[in-house]
Amino acid sequence: MALKALDIYKLLPKKNCKECGDPTCLTFAMKLAGGKADVDLCPYLDDQAKAVLGATTRPPIRRVRIGVGERSFEVGEEFVLYRHEKTFYHQPGIVFDVSDTQSPDEITSITKRVRDEAFTRVGTDLRFSGIAVRNRSTTTDRFAAAVGIIENVADLPLVLISASTAALSAALVHCGTYRPLIHAATKGNFKEMCALAKQHGCPLVIKAHQLDQLAELAKDCSAEGVQDLVMDLSPASLYEFIASSTGIRQLAITRTAPDLGYPVYLDATIGVLQDAWIVLGIVKYASVIVTAPLSRASAKAALTLRQNVYTDPQKPIQMNPGLYRVGSPGKDAPVLMTVNFSLTFFTLEGYLESARIPCFMLIVDTEGLSVLTAVAAGKLNETLVRDAIRKSDVEKEVSHKKLIIPGYAAPLSGRIEEATGWKVMVGPRDAAEIGDFLNKEWKR
Amino acid sequence: MGFDLRFGWTGPIGAVTLGATRSEGGTRRVSYRIGGGTTLPFLEYNSSHSSPLIAFEICDNPVFWPPIVRNYCGDLVNNVEDWAKTADATYGADMIRLYLTSTRQRNFSDIPAMGKAVEAVLSATSLPLIIEGSNEPNIDSEVFQRCGEVAQGERLLLGTAEANRYRSIAAAALAYNHSLIAQSPIDVNLAKQLNILLREIGVQRDHIVIDPYTGTLGYGFEYSYSAMERIRFSALKGDTDLAMPMICSPTDTLTIKEVREAESSVQDEMAATWEFYSGLAAAVAGAEIICVRHPETVPRLKEAFRSMKNGTGSAQVR
Repeated sequence: MALKALDIYKLLPKKNCKECGDPTCLTFAMKLAGGKADVDLCPYLDDQAKAVLGATTRPPIRRVRIGVGERSFEVGEEFVLYRHEKTFYHQPGIVFDVSDTQSPDEITSITKRVRDEAFTRVGTDLRFSGIAVRNRSTTTDRFAAAVGIIENVADLPLVLISASTAALSAALVHCGTYRPLIHAATKGNFKEMCALAKQHGCPLVIKAHQLDQLAELAKDCSAEGVQDLVMDLSPASLYEFIASSTGIRQLAITRTAPDLGYPVYLDATIGVLQDAWIVLGIVKYASVIVTAPLSRASAKAALTLRQNVYTDPQKPIQMNPGLYRVGSPGKDAPVLMTVNFSLTFFTLEGYLESARIPCFMLIVDTEGLSVLTAVAAGKLNETLVRDAIRKSDVEKEVSHKKLIIPGYAAPLSGRIEEATGWKVMVGPRDAAEIGDFLNKEWKR
Repeated sequence: MGFDLRFGWTGPIGAVTLGATRSEGGTRRVSYRIGGGTTLPFLEYNSSHSSPLIAFEICDNPVFWPPIVRNYCGDLVNNVEDWAKTADATYGADMIRLYLTSTRQRNFSDIPAMGKAVEAVLSATSLPLIIEGSNEPNIDSEVFQRCGEVAQGERLLLGTAEANRYRSIAAAALAYNHSLIAQSPIDVNLAKQLNILLREIGVQRDHIVIDPYTGTLGYGFEYSYSAMERIRFSALKGDTDLAMPMICSPTDTLTIKEVREAESSVQDEMAATWEFYSGLAAAVAGAEIICVRHPETVPRLKEAFRSMKNGTGSAQVR
């Protein structure tokens, strides 16, 4: 149960010191009750009060930062079960798995790949997020050495995976100040793990197989003073993952089980279905996904799916309206009009590039709507097209007055001709057919 | 003890039967009942709930098919019977979806040939079929009529009805007791509207499969993903006009830049991976028929669906 503002107020120091940024303890309490402030902002709370308040006042899923600097990433602070209800905010970090039994060269090369590899999609660079180091050797020295090698190559967020606090401790000598994620505290070792996490100020994974055991462990660790937790459900099948991850998300956002309000960790390297684990991790609420280094195909597909699912559905990505060139179009090059929805733009541009016919793209401002929805909503109309032609000075660029419009905009063709004085050619509905269309209809 | 997680759903997804065995009046070796879900996909407590079906797509004129499939399948693509047989026996598909791409040729008029193509595939495989009819409104009526007629009793799934052209396909489905695919452009309200139109001309709910239209991964897939989730959500909340199973067919997947421009040594892997990622994500959003065109995608999806079945019984949420 969430605490009311007055109940929270009772636990605060009532000094009205303003150090939290609020004018009084009462206003701070009200913010805490609404999930809009973090208890850590109050410097005078003891650990016990923090633990009591922590579970009931923070955002339904705690935000946890992993790593430091440019490549660090934040996970958690999510509010919904479905992205269409609002949006998913913090995309999962996908980290590549290395073992301390691998040669220094192998470790170096995987680290370099994560450091350097990027795919550009719809104007954004997509990258993998960090490295998970596994203490497969079970020796302290090799583990620390592997972490040292990685630290020499790149400043990437790390996940340190070992059952031995001695090995973790040795590794943390190299990277303890860079907020690596420590894996993992269990019922048996949580006190030692919490001490390590506290000493270095690092986030900590807690691991248990049942939801109630996880909640118990979260409470224990929180009482030990570690609140930056990530939960490992160690599912035995894809089914178990979907069931428990959905359960955690639902119980957390409804605050039915505040002790489950932490991001979820998923080890996708178990078994042979790694791609399937990654897909489910991305769509079903995992926040840190550990995978073996991926093939080119899986790498692109995984990063693309992550980008798709974490795109804010309320804000379609838009292009600036105006005139764009594909290749070096001349005076007789075709002019293709379409909307400023980025997906439409990049899809059409891709097909135009492979058609190898230099041309102009005239992008009109439909507020990010696709052709179909813009036509239906009246956001694409002849006035807009006329103004776009004027503003873009396209009439100075080409020696003809022929405008190719998208197939779905066909109902507007007459009105566009009247308003602009341009001759309208109705193109295909499907951008994939634009090459054929230009070859047959334009070049004729 | 576990946590008690209840979503408070009120309505189940309606069931649709695909294919008919001999005892059901057809000649298929199996028939499927899809739908019937009572909660979010893959969270059914009842472990007998069936996995999504994988439909392998073939066509009768490969000129209109992605080059990568033509290369991979070789000569098979020129013989719709052999192709269907292979998809059944070798690729391991659950259903075959035949696209009558011949009808896309200019001034196409050989309607009897379409009936023959359907008959050929019916005899080449005993799996339930999806028949994707004409793309040309002028010949819709004749094509659907012919396909429906030659497959009477087989409980085909006929595709594809849209808001501005659904009468011919509905007429054929009604006359010969087939089901149909109702496609709307990635919008829960348009999907509902089309279902109501279909109901008004007599198509029963248990004869409709919703196709919310699947944008390709990286090219609008997220819109389709959310449309599917919303349709499922509305259905579970009791909206009977949306309580039908869904089909996902990301038809443009094998012609996108990532696949087209992949180096030839990894092109097949890229194609199958792209289909796998979108197909699996769509299944999680609620699609119960996943259509694919690359043979290597079929076993990958099958294996994943196997691991997604509730077999362990240790679930703590329902």
